[in-house]
Amino acid sequence: MKLELGYILIKDIQFSDVSKVENGTLYVNKEEVKALILEDQNFKAADVELAKPGESVRIMPVKDVIEPRVKVEGPGGIFPGMINKVETVGSGKTNVLKGAAVVTTGKIVGFQEGIIDMTGTGAEYTPFSTLNNLVLICEPIDSLKQHEHEKALRFAGYKVALYLGALAKNLTPDEVEVFETPNLVEGIKMYPDLPRVAYVFMLQSQGLMHDTYVYGVDAKQSLTTMIYPTEVMDGAIVSGNCVSACDKNTTYHHLNNPIIHDLFAEHGKTLNFVGVIITNENVYLADKERSSNWSAKLAGFLGVDGVIVSEEGFGNPDTDLIMNCKKIEAKGIKTVLVTDEYAGRDGTSQSLADADVSANAVVSAGNANEVIELPPMDKIIGHVEVTDVIAGGFDGSLHKDGSITAELQVITGATNEMGFNKLSAR
Amino acid sequence: MIITNNDWVLNKYKDIYNIVYINGTFKDVLIAVRDKLHIGHELLTHPLGSSVKPSETPFKSVMITDKKNNTSIDSIYMIENAIITYDKFNKDKLLSISDKVIEDLKLIDLTVLQSALNI
Amino acid sequence: MLKIVHYINQFFANIGGEEMAHIPAEVREGIVGPGLAFKQAFKDEAEIVATIVCGDSYFNENIDEAKTSIIEMVKKYNPDLFIAGPAFNAGRYGVACGTIAKAVKDELNIPVLTGMYVENPGADMFKNNIYIVSTKNSAAGMRDAVKKMAPLALKLGKGEKIGASSEEGYLPNGIRVNFFEKERGSKRAVKMLLAKLNDKEFQTEFPMPDFDRVEPNPAIKDITKAKIALVTSGGIVPKGNPDHIESSSASKYGKYDIDGVIDLTEETYETAHGGYDPVYANLDPDRVLPVDIMREFEKEGKIGSLHRYFYTTVGNGTAVKSAKGFAEKYAKELVADGVDAVILTST
Repeated sequence: MKLELGYILIKDIQFSDVSKVENGTLYVNKEEVKALILEDQNFKAADVELAKPGESVRIMPVKDVIEPRVKVEGPGGIFPGMINKVETVGSGKTNVLKGAAVVTTGKIVGFQEGIIDMTGTGAEYTPFSTLNNLVLICEPIDSLKQHEHEKALRFAGYKVALYLGALAKNLTPDEVEVFETPNLVEGIKMYPDLPRVAYVFMLQSQGLMHDTYVYGVDAKQSLTTMIYPTEVMDGAIVSGNCVSACDKNTTYHHLNNPIIHDLFAEHGKTLNFVGVIITNENVYLADKERSSNWSAKLAGFLGVDGVIVSEEGFGNPDTDLIMNCKKIEAKGIKTVLVTDEYAGRDGTSQSLADADVSANAVVSAGNANEVIELPPMDKIIGHVEVTDVIAGGFDGSLHKDGSITAELQVITGATNEMGFNKLSAR
Repeated sequence: MIITNNDWVLNKYKDIYNIVYINGTFKDVLIAVRDKLHIGHELLTHPLGSSVKPSETPFKSVMITDKKNNTSIDSIYMIENAIITYDKFNKDKLLSISDKVIEDLKLIDLTVLQSALNI
Repeated sequence: MLKIVHYINQFFANIGGEEMAHIPAEVREGIVGPGLAFKQAFKDEAEIVATIVCGDSYFNENIDEAKTSIIEMVKKYNPDLFIAGPAFNAGRYGVACGTIAKAVKDELNIPVLTGMYVENPGADMFKNNIYIVSTKNSAAGMRDAVKKMAPLALKLGKGEKIGASSEEGYLPNGIRVNFFEKERGSKRAVKMLLAKLNDKEFQTEFPMPDFDRVEPNPAIKDITKAKIALVTSGGIVPKGNPDHIESSSASKYGKYDIDGVIDLTEETYETAHGGYDPVYANLDPDRVLPVDIMREFEKEGKIGSLHRYFYTTVGNGTAVKSAKGFAEKYAKELVADGVDAVILTST
């Protein structure tokens, strides 16, 4: 399967009468976006704001971050099974508004984490401070239940991202990258001497606010399965995970999965990137056993020499991570794990809730409990009234001048376990 | 058997499942689970049910087997690690949460448990 | 300019080798030996105001005296920082550097730094207490050691934030510290996998905690016939601790006869353990070593018999290696004595 990604580089975002992309600037008609959100009768009001790199802006509480993309050629559309039809995506051409993102905010439940600072210390920890963000603030109708609220917000994000993505459909990309995965037989013939590598991609699937969807299916209801890496780039996997801001995979992370990109970078040179095994992180222990049995079985079936396993979330998924590692290593397949740590504020506690000797190659995305100081911002976008709860309520404290002392875990994407960032710990 | 300190779980399932209601903290639930594991019950759900951290919620529901077998070392190992993990989070702020938030947290705990029950 | 006091042994002070290792601590104004390399590295930012020289044998055989006198010497100069070594792979020198640096830090409350080879016994003993820069295994690595130690010394002296072990070059000390790597995590994961696949050396970024899981033996067939021994790391010893088992980092274990003893009392037994509140163990040592219950079971025929001896040590900070060594010895005795099962109690 072959996909060509065309990047249209976005350097600025502005409101305008007409939505369009011109000379690297994304112009957005605010009213059209609002109207799009309010198509959903679960929302009674909506607002849209801009947040650009370097501005003294704090966005909170962040639910999801989504990159605008559009299918230019090939079957299906972005976010199949969610917005577009359940067509197999991942081939043809897709255009990307690189440098732009849609950020959804919302207080689905009374406690919420998820901060994006566009400048200062916090900005160094979140990758989204470097993007030109269109922030959606959606007010639900009074009686809306948490489940429906989460879903409505998720869909508002997708719709607006697709609306912006569509602006890129007929543009000529500034840069093009091609990704291709041959079938198993061709792959072996093409690279007979290279080690065969797969990626075991763990998806959060624990229930309300902890879900991930694959072609529209709730991952917790799926057995471990396989997917082409390019399908992921077309939005086959989306995030409904609103918990654990620092190490959840936003939809942006899924679209830009760095492990997939970095394996492709070595594909055909030092390794043969065979494909992606997606597996879930359920609450029921028998599910964990079953899913990890299947990851190991599929890795064995593919005849790979090595895998990279990425985790999503905290605590309970550590058990899935270690089960995957143990069972895959037991098949003689070498593993590298990517995780983050909860080593306590002083860094002296045991980092993971589970461990095993076979996990001898681990990449750390940093200690999420480490305390940082966030300076006050001139402007807060999102739901200002929850500032106190989010920042002061649990893992941090809000000071009178608007500065925040908090654990790193409140920052969206700070310790992402796909290895999206440079942050680490020793 | 469900060990819980969440009255929503108690009220919803008391007629269907064997429920041990703990009038206490998240940690009290973990300790009660540990004591059951020591006499031969086995864990069915992970004691750190979700990515909502122990610093963020006072509610916890854990499912274990009704039947007693030989003590499961894996279960003991998991609950001990869960207790260690619980202890390392700073829980000062849990005291000041509002009623609305308490309801939300009870709901999350309930739905996480449901996700295990429905399969 | 920061003021530094430097500690070295007789060898690096150019006094002599093993034959001069007995010399007691003495202080000299200014720089001696490796201090020169430090001086060059510090430029104008720090100055070694005094050097303390002490023989390795003297230090290790007269620890309390040596510590007291050296601390007095250091105090006089009121330095901003104390550096010991580097000791490379010299075992007694490494232990001396670690011991004195920790003592200076604890008692004078000034930052300290030493350096040694990772396999120096002093490294394992002190890496969680003080910053120990990882050096090569011989004095030929002096340049490299100073290059790593000097910048960290300046940071410590100035009270600046210390980065992660991999950035600063000190041995991992059990405290996880965040820092920004040069490459993103996914790239590092791919590189690590390639190294692992090609059997090349790689370093995990998060070493798993050490486990030594022991597979349980098959169950005793008939417990009512079994001879059972009690073994504890809870430090229960006859009153007065006749073998002087240390309250922490125990170097030995004790074997005591309990023939005819049916109950451990406050008058006859106590705990040597320094790692927990001993009040309840001392009031009734059966709480840690349940001789009373075992005697009851013996009488009721629930077990065959209680072994005549119990084995005891203190598990407080005792190295796993030492503990394994103890067990290897007494396990043989237990087998030879026909013991069928052991109850191990901890605290």
